[in-house]
Amino acid sequence: MENIIACENITHYYGSRLIYENLNFEVKKGKILGLLGKNGTGKTTIINILNGYLKPRSGECRIFQEKMQNLSPATKASIGLLLEGHIQHTFFNVRQIEKFYRQFYPNWKAGAYYELLKKLQVSETQRISAMSCGQRSQIALGLLFAQDPDLLILDDFSMGLDPGYRRLFVQYLKEYASEGNKTIFLTSHIIQDMEMLIDDCIILDYGRILLHKPTDYILNHFKRYSFYASATEIKATDKLWNPEKTGNTWEVYSFSPKDEIQQILEPYDIANLKEEKLSLEDAFIGLTGKY
Amino acid sequence: MITALFYKEWIKTRRILLLSLLVLAALMIYIFINVEQMFRINGATQVWTETILKDISVLTGIQWLPLILSILFGVSQFVPEMSNKRLKLTLHLPMSENRIMFSMLAFGLSGLLILYAITCIAIIGGLRIYYPQEIVLSMIESSLPWFLAGLAGYLFTAWICIEPVWRQRVFNTLIAAYALSFFMMSAKGGAYMPFIPYLLATIIVAHFFSFYSMYRFKDGSQ
Repeated sequence: MENIIACENITHYYGSRLIYENLNFEVKKGKILGLLGKNGTGKTTIINILNGYLKPRSGECRIFQEKMQNLSPATKASIGLLLEGHIQHTFFNVRQIEKFYRQFYPNWKAGAYYELLKKLQVSETQRISAMSCGQRSQIALGLLFAQDPDLLILDDFSMGLDPGYRRLFVQYLKEYASEGNKTIFLTSHIIQDMEMLIDDCIILDYGRILLHKPTDYILNHFKRYSFYASATEIKATDKLWNPEKTGNTWEVYSFSPKDEIQQILEPYDIANLKEEKLSLEDAFIGLTGKY
Repeated sequence: MITALFYKEWIKTRRILLLSLLVLAALMIYIFINVEQMFRINGATQVWTETILKDISVLTGIQWLPLILSILFGVSQFVPEMSNKRLKLTLHLPMSENRIMFSMLAFGLSGLLILYAITCIAIIGGLRIYYPQEIVLSMIESSLPWFLAGLAGYLFTAWICIEPVWRQRVFNTLIAAYALSFFMMSAKGGAYMPFIPYLLATIIVAHFFSFYSMYRFKDGSQ
C-alpha cells in the first residue's frame, strides 16, 4: 500500500532538550493514524515538521513523496490542515471565510461547509472572532470538508470542545474517512475519541516511539493484570509494563497471555491473578505510566 | 488566487485604510484653511516672502503622517497573521510561499501608494489655487522623502511583525529606526533630491527582509 506520509530518522532538539532521536514512521493510504503521547512528548512538533513549519536537526519527512520543506502548491491543495485550537482567520465572518478559501481549491464543496453550519446557531455575517470554541471548531471542520483533501492532518482536534462537539467532530471524520482513499493523521489528548476512530496508533514517549501498532491489536492483546503479592519490588521488563503497588495489590500491564504472566510472576509468590481488558485510554496509561 | 489573497488583506486592513483616508482628508482641509487664513491676515506679499525667501512649506504638518499611517497599516495587516501563528494557514494555501508573501506586500504597497497619490493630488489641486505651479511642485518634492518613509516604514513593519523571535524583533526595530532616520532629516527644499535614489534603493532592499523573516518562521526559529 502506498505511503502518504513517511518520516525517516527525525531527530530534533529544543535547545539542549532532546525531543526525538531517529524517529521513523509511515502512514499508509486510506488509514487513520492517531499520535498519542503525554504533554511535551512532541506531538505538535511532529505536525509542524510534517508541514514544513519546523526544520528538524536531522532526518526527513515526505508527504505524497514530496519533501516537507518544499511542498508544491498541488500537494498543499491535497492536504487539509487543522491547527491546534482550531485556529482560523478570525477577522472573517462565516460567509467571507468560505468565499476566501473557495478560490484556492478547484473541487471546493461549498455545500459541505454550509451543511455543517446549519447545526450551529450562527448567521452568515457573524464574525469568527465572536464565536465559541465549539463553533469555531465546526467552521474549521466545515472548511476542511469543503476542501475535500486526500490527507487530513489534525492537531489536537478535541482541544477545548465539549463532549457534544467532540462527538460531532468524530462522527463527521468517520464519514469523511469512509469515502475511501482518505488518509487522516491526528493527535488528541482525549483518547476516548481516538478509540472510536483510529486504525493505527503511535504512542510517543519522551524522545522515542514507544509503540506503533494497529488499534485493534492493542485493544485485543494489551491487558492489565492484578494480583496479591508481598514483594516490595517487581521490576519492569519488556513483558511487564509499569508494575505498581497499592496496598498489597499489584498491577502490571502486558501483551503476554495470562499463562505466561503467571509463569513470569511465579518467583514473587503471587495469588489471585486477574486479567482485565482495557480501553485505549487505559492501555495508554499502562504503556506510558501515570506520571 | 491572488484576488483571493487581496480580498483577505482588504478585510483585515479596510478599517485602517478608511481611517487613514479620513485623517489625511482632515489634515488637507486644515492646511487649506490655514493657507487661506495666512493669505487673508498676512497678505500675499508676506506669505510669498516666507515661502520663497525663508523656505517655509505649508506641508510640514504632514511630515510624520505617512510613516505613522503606514506602520498602523502594516500592523493591522501582519499582527493578525502572527497571533497564534496564523501565518501557517496562509503559507499552507496552494501557492508558493514566495508568491504569497509577494502578494501580501504588493497589496500593502499598492494601498499606500493609492493613499499617497490621492493625498498628493489633493495637495496639488488645493495649493494651485494659492501658489504658482513651481512652488507647489517644490513643496511636493520636499515632502517626497516623507512618503518614501511611509513605504519603507510599511516594509520594515512587515519585517518586524513576521519575525518569529522577540529578541530578533527588537534588533530589527533598531535597524528600522536607524534606516528611517535617513528619510526624516530636516533639509532645505529640494536638498533631498540627489539622495532620493538611495532612499528608493533602501525600499527595494527592505522589500526582501520580510521574505527572510518568513523563511525563519518556516524553519521554526524560536
